Amino acid sequence: MSQLQIYFLRLLLFLFLQSFIFNQLEISASIHVMIAPLYLFLLPFDRSILSLLLIALVLGLAIDATSNTFGLHTSSLVLFAYLRPIVFRVFSPRDGYDSLKSPSIFDMGNRWFISTFSILLFSHHLWFFILEAFSFSETLLILQKTILSGVISFVVCVILQTIFIKRAG
Amino acid sequence: MQNLIAFIKRLRFFIVFFVLQFFALSMYVSFMSAPRSSYFTTASYISGNLFKIRHSITQHFLLEKNNEALQKENVNLRKSSSLFLYNEASQETRVIDSTSAQQYDYIPGTIINSTTMKRDNFFTLNIGNIQGIEKGMGVFSSNGVVGIVHNTSEHFSVVKSVLTKNINIDVLLTEVGASGMLKWTGENSNVGYIAGISNDIVVPIGSKVVTRGGSGIFPRGIEVGIVKNTITIEGEASWHIDVEFSQKYAALENIYVVKNLFLDEFKTVQNQ
Repeated sequence: MSQLQIYFLRLLLFLFLQSFIFNQLEISASIHVMIAPLYLFLLPFDRSILSLLLIALVLGLAIDATSNTFGLHTSSLVLFAYLRPIVFRVFSPRDGYDSLKSPSIFDMGNRWFISTFSILLFSHHLWFFILEAFSFSETLLILQKTILSGVISFVVCVILQTIFIKRAG
Repeated sequence: MQNLIAFIKRLRFFIVFFVLQFFALSMYVSFMSAPRSSYFTTASYISGNLFKIRHSITQHFLLEKNNEALQKENVNLRKSSSLFLYNEASQETRVIDSTSAQQYDYIPGTIINSTTMKRDNFFTLNIGNIQGIEKGMGVFSSNGVVGIVHNTSEHFSVVKSVLTKNINIDVLLTEVGASGMLKWTGENSNVGYIAGISNDIVVPIGSKVVTRGGSGIFPRGIEVGIVKNTITIEGEASWHIDVEFSQKYAALENIYVVKNLFLDEFKTVQNQ
């Protein structure tokens, strides 16, 4: 399979997992597992911001259409896509990124993955829950949701990589 | 000029980001208040059918509970039917009731997709325009009030449930006679609250809450729940009344949509 086909199939897989599994899985009011950001994160290093933003738009609209959120997922995924290159630049290795590697936990190592992905995932979740509540009177609830959901989403994203991503070498 | 072009070039990604963000947010805000189309909601053709397939698998999990609820409702209906009542008056004095006319029509339907723990929870129904569902109609179940139709397509509709911010259904405390607005805090799917009841009214815990029927969406007297707790809000002259819902929304499948046959008349009278 070509690289493009793999990424397309992976898009459908993430869409299915997010819409039909994780959006329906209701453990508690403050735990909302969101794995769609991982798809954007795992796109190759040399993707331009513009294509990232457009992929985020498509993925977000598709998730919104199946979960009655009317643009919430789109907005937070677009934010994630915009922040990704900025965070990657900050945490770039001394001699730049190897374009043959993918930004997965296996290729880039635990420390790099944890620092970049947790910053991006946290901002994504915070943005999502602020928009969802749409009022300042629920600040504590927003923080509680962001932290609890963020931690669980992060763990699920690590588990998903061990299942679906081929280990390098 | 050259500087301007260079400036725009440097900002071009931010401009794209800004445009997309503006698009998403304007869609969110406008669809939350009043959706103009059924695209990008679960009432759309593709999502609706996907959830229909999913429902055909998962519907059996709740079968027992739903049968029980319907059985209970049947018993209550039979109790009030004249066939099962002992008629104390002699046959001759009975007249066919011509003093009342039918005001509400009920359309039965099934929930094929629902969430209960998000901040705003919407339910998808397997009935739509073809069955006569329109935006703004009330939805209730055999145990209590469910929500208001938010969006419809030909075969599906989306219900803005009681578990949403700004649902604002007008409710009545039958024992006290006071009325207020039903709202939801977003934390517990079994508890909502009533705002707007003055705190000089004594509200006993355990009093019954029903719909008031003041906006023509619901008939008067559909069950909502019972008062669980009353809290005073500092600096305000009204209670924060916690209501335990009589319907457990996580295990809900069969619902009825209310069609008010006098709605146009009701609206013209109100607008005069």
